[in-house]
Amino acid sequence: MNNQLQKLKKEYMNAPIPEELDFTVQKAIKEGVWFSRRKKWGFHKIKVTAASVAAAFLIMIAGANSSMAFAAALSKIPVVGDIINVLTFREYRIDEKTYDSHIKVPEIKGLENKDLENSLNKKYLDEGKQLYEDFIADMGNLKENGGGHLGVHSGYTVVTDNDRILSISRYTVNTVASSSTTMKYDTIDKVNEVLVTLPSLFKDDSYVNIISENIKEQMVDENESDPNKVYWVKGIEQSSLIDLFEEISQDQNFYINSENKLVISFDKYEVAPGYMGIVEFVIPTEILSELLVGDAYIK
Amino acid sequence: MEEAGLTNIITEYVIHNKEQLYRLAFSYVKNQDDALEVMHESITKAFSKKNTLKTPEYLKTWFYRIIVNTAMDMLRKKKRVVVSDHETLSLYEAGIPDQYTDMDLQKALNNLPIQYRSIVVLRYFEDLEIKEIAEILNVNMNTVKTRLYKSLKMLRIQIDDERKGE
Repeated sequence: MNNQLQKLKKEYMNAPIPEELDFTVQKAIKEGVWFSRRKKWGFHKIKVTAASVAAAFLIMIAGANSSMAFAAALSKIPVVGDIINVLTFREYRIDEKTYDSHIKVPEIKGLENKDLENSLNKKYLDEGKQLYEDFIADMGNLKENGGGHLGVHSGYTVVTDNDRILSISRYTVNTVASSSTTMKYDTIDKVNEVLVTLPSLFKDDSYVNIISENIKEQMVDENESDPNKVYWVKGIEQSSLIDLFEEISQDQNFYINSENKLVISFDKYEVAPGYMGIVEFVIPTEILSELLVGDAYIK
Repeated sequence: MEEAGLTNIITEYVIHNKEQLYRLAFSYVKNQDDALEVMHESITKAFSKKNTLKTPEYLKTWFYRIIVNTAMDMLRKKKRVVVSDHETLSLYEAGIPDQYTDMDLQKALNNLPIQYRSIVVLRYFEDLEIKEIAEILNVNMNTVKTRLYKSLKMLRIQIDDERKGE
């Protein structure tokens, strides 16, 4: 190789490696393995037989500390006595060389409050259809303009399912170049059969401020113990001019986890650089106890 | 290949080659945040598309291809780089190279159309064979050779080993 190319190569090899690379790679591996496992499970329709119910109990024991993928697989097996459940109602799928779409529409069954059941199921179906139609339109556009890569994956996970609460998360991953992931959550009170909204949990709207302040503290703390974890928040040095996180919205994404704790969730890019992905904060119940309407959901 | 085996192979490969893969991503998108984003995206994509990897010996070219496609899609999306169409490319191939001094070499490289720059990167900085480059970029070997030759011409680099990779 001649001198000039040597020089260029040297410059190429000298591209500085950012500290965040390790963290980004670790996180991507985790997500990648998780998603690909879930996908694999999605392909095998679980037949409801006595054997599979037995298997389900085995998995439950084996996976006591189980991942969300386990939870997703479990949700498909109706367990005796579990009346309200979530099933896959419809799937849209496109599988072409560079266009790839898989949309799973959930359906809630077993609620006596049919208005609630129907309105949720209609929302899921409408949103699924819309995603699918948008994908078809985008694919058409791309094809006309010389092609490209496009993907959309959407599905759901039962996050919490206990005596009182059913929390479902629905995810949509859009892949054009970088992917954007959005999450939506619905939490249902199974006893009273009502949809739980964030404002409905609290006596007044002072929760916005109290939760936001707590999240900001958590962000700064996380960054102090691991500098790779970057949030767009005051107190963490920012590399670019960007809008900093001020406060959650009144109807911020949330769910109630299996430990009866409130979890606030942010989409990719909402409060942190893309490599952080979706971020979640568990809000300590102590700081909420004064504000809560009751202790039925959050303990 | 068993799925679990592939997962482990990909994980190992990514962990051991992350810096090299990052440099490749960076050479396309030219900034840190985007390069990290390309890394994140490519790694998750690799796992979800692992059944397209036929045998582990193609792992490197397979992974490079994912990185290159992801980076190109990002450039397209951000429209920072116009990915030249065939007509523009053939203008380059007719070849009236700009005049550059040695000092401007890096700049000249950056100014090459992306399809040309990536061939220089893959051939001379990543030391890949023509055949491998053709696979990564999904073009035929003759196209790679032509573009490599033109690139060097545009960069005004005299070279005697440009055919070595055949």
